[in-house]
Amino acid sequence: MSQSRVLLVIGSAKQSRSTSEALGTYLLDRLSERGFDAETLFLHRSLQRDYRVQAMLAASDRADILVLASPLYVDSLPYLATRALELIALHRNTRVKGKRQRLLAIVNCGFPEAQHTETAIAICRRFAREAGFEWAAGLGLGGGEAINGRRLRKRSGMVRNVVRSLDVTATALADGQAVPEEAARLMARPLMPTWLYTLAGSVRWRRQARAHGARQKLSDRPYEHTEG
Amino acid sequence: MRAALLDGSTARDAALHSVHRVIVSELTGIACDVDEFILRDMTIAYCTGCFECWVRTPGICKATDAGHDVARAVIRSDLAVFLTPITFGGYSSELKKGLDHLIGLISPFFMKANGETHHKPRYSTYPRLIGVGVLPGPDSESEQIFTTLVGRNALNLHAPAHAAGVIRSGDSREAVGEAIRSLLAAAGVDH
Repeated sequence: MSQSRVLLVIGSAKQSRSTSEALGTYLLDRLSERGFDAETLFLHRSLQRDYRVQAMLAASDRADILVLASPLYVDSLPYLATRALELIALHRNTRVKGKRQRLLAIVNCGFPEAQHTETAIAICRRFAREAGFEWAAGLGLGGGEAINGRRLRKRSGMVRNVVRSLDVTATALADGQAVPEEAARLMARPLMPTWLYTLAGSVRWRRQARAHGARQKLSDRPYEHTEG
Repeated sequence: MRAALLDGSTARDAALHSVHRVIVSELTGIACDVDEFILRDMTIAYCTGCFECWVRTPGICKATDAGHDVARAVIRSDLAVFLTPITFGGYSSELKKGLDHLIGLISPFFMKANGETHHKPRYSTYPRLIGVGVLPGPDSESEQIFTTLVGRNALNLHAPAHAAGVIRSGDSREAVGEAIRSLLAAAGVDH
């Protein structure tokens, strides 16, 4: 019997250390421990050349489980992830339906509340239906900036519920079972109090702006219409 | 009155091209100047999530391409219209290519609205928002997702009013015109 395959598709445009990568990689590592053959694709590379697009489509055909890990941009999936889903769906509509394949979506956003990811997850669920994937689950995370691409390691500290969620998910996927709703509930739990997250965010933006010499320009309105 | 029409259709979307023409016709019919953006024909780099439009050159994307024209036109308009083939309930990638750059129009700092955290406005006024999605036939799930998405965009982009509507690709010119007029009325755009 051939080894089961899991394909992680990362929708973040960041070149390295994205929160999407951190979340997806943790899940992939757990599935690898359970004997899965794991592969990771970064969409900012995969969509650059036609031969890479073809490789992505072939990898999506081979996968028993497709994991899309993506940030939220303007209330939905970013351009890269949206384009990838369009290409995969178009490709799959022209092929004969094969083995059972499941789709798991992990969407993180910069707002402290995970509920901002619900529309993007609904889009992923609808994609699964149109492209012939069995919907495994959608895990929405709020406050993703707090992880800031750091590798997840253990069930402690701020990310303890994130790790628990991914552990529950990995176990269910590896056993071929439905992902319990507990996984989505754990992922949606706030990483920290909202007031602390928004305060830390403000400090961070000001610090970064200062480093770029733009501290006094943070509230600029460069496209404001001026008469005359 | 000025409107920015962001067209997220592909070259093969004949039905959307027709809807585009109807939207322009209806808007010019109420003395509205329309800035039309056929996004598939424009060179716009995808957003890299660098946040430099917040912390390095506040309000402006670092990519020097037509994305600047889109963002400028949207914030200077009274009405923004998003036209798209409904794709898994959401927007097409062509539309997202343009929309992802609109985060520069808002502030990185947070505020509370409707019990949720959102970004503060950067500008004193924002355009009303209309989302027009095109589907080949009835599809309640896709319509629900699309309507929700336009509403979420309106909230996060501080639109003072918004409306979302779904048009069937086989609808007549008259039916499309009626649908657009209804959307304009729902968004508070006077005839």
